[in-house]
Amino acid sequence: MRLVTSDGELIQRAADGDQSAFEQLYQRYARPVFGLALRRLGDRGRAEDAVQETFASIWRSAASYRPERGPGAPWLYAVARNAIVDRARNRTDVPADIPDEPAREAGPADRAEQGWVSWRVHRALEELPEREREVIALAYWSGLSQSEVAEFLGIPLGTVKTRTRAALMRLADILGEELE
Amino acid sequence: MSFDDIVGREDLSPDEEARLRRVHDLLVEAGPPPDLPPELEHPVQPKDADVLEFPLLMRRRIAVAGIAAVAAAIAVFAGGYAFGHSKGKPAAFAAVHVVPMHGSSGRLAVIKIGHADAAGNWPMLIQVSGLPKQSSAASYYELWLTRNGKPIAPCGGFRVHGDTTTVHLTVPYSLKKFDGWVVTAQPPSDRGVGPVVLTT
Repeated sequence: MRLVTSDGELIQRAADGDQSAFEQLYQRYARPVFGLALRRLGDRGRAEDAVQETFASIWRSAASYRPERGPGAPWLYAVARNAIVDRARNRTDVPADIPDEPAREAGPADRAEQGWVSWRVHRALEELPEREREVIALAYWSGLSQSEVAEFLGIPLGTVKTRTRAALMRLADILGEELE
Repeated sequence: MSFDDIVGREDLSPDEEARLRRVHDLLVEAGPPPDLPPELEHPVQPKDADVLEFPLLMRRRIAVAGIAAVAAAIAVFAGGYAFGHSKGKPAAFAAVHVVPMHGSSGRLAVIKIGHADAAGNWPMLIQVSGLPKQSSAASYYELWLTRNGKPIAPCGGFRVHGDTTTVHLTVPYSLKKFDGWVVTAQPPSDRGVGPVVLTT
């Protein structure tokens, strides 16, 4: 049974000026916001600014969150997306020529969907114990085999497999809605 | 890498396998989370800073009460922001006071004032948001200390870029001699005091 304070509750507490609730939100969402901003803006410096602005907006507008309208994650996502879009609009780059051929990259709808999935997954990873997050990162994004992960971490292969499964089960619990 | 390579199917019921496979697919789809820059690892706490109250006109008090909350939030990030934009410099800006400022159309600013050095120079970090870009290459904004609402002592000029701009300034004045701050928009041809765009 998970006894983690919900995002919605933390937003409501932040609206009342609870600094620790705000910090918890920051710990949970700084990385997902940064990831979203980095993908959208393609520049680390601008993405960092977007993170700052997102959390300033969260603090400023937390009182506008209505729990009866839904959980906190989509609300936070909307705030982050708005801050990032605002920053993207402010770009002063010279517009490129319009290409003759359709772009091969994902369209706005697909990008939004991908953004949301990444947002939820990266947020869920923040809840894993460090040792489980570590094996997931190595297994999925380092290119190492499970045997190499075991060797890298200096633990038995069986432990790597156990931790991997435990991590996936925990993620399945956290990502309940995304799995349906 | 495949599901079988990473997770395997041994001892899993069909339902469990389907569930874990979906998580596996989501992890693959999401890709790796980015490494947070060091300056974003933690929000900087404003607890070492107090909001500095200047004597205010009554009608301003109400507006500033709301702005103080924003100031506190911005102050949380100002240190990290400053560090992020001062590569190679020492990390935190230790604030002694935080001063919120406001203007029309959602224009906001926060001044963080650090400890004065032995010679009496006060380091400051001002973060402004919502100010329009300068009207010309020679235009700029100026921060002033005020007495009885009048700009008296110039604290430094700056130009804005984007929504939020952070600038480091240093002033040699004794802050006790003043009762507030304003930011003015300085047109290039005007050597006097431009129109006030932000005030305490």
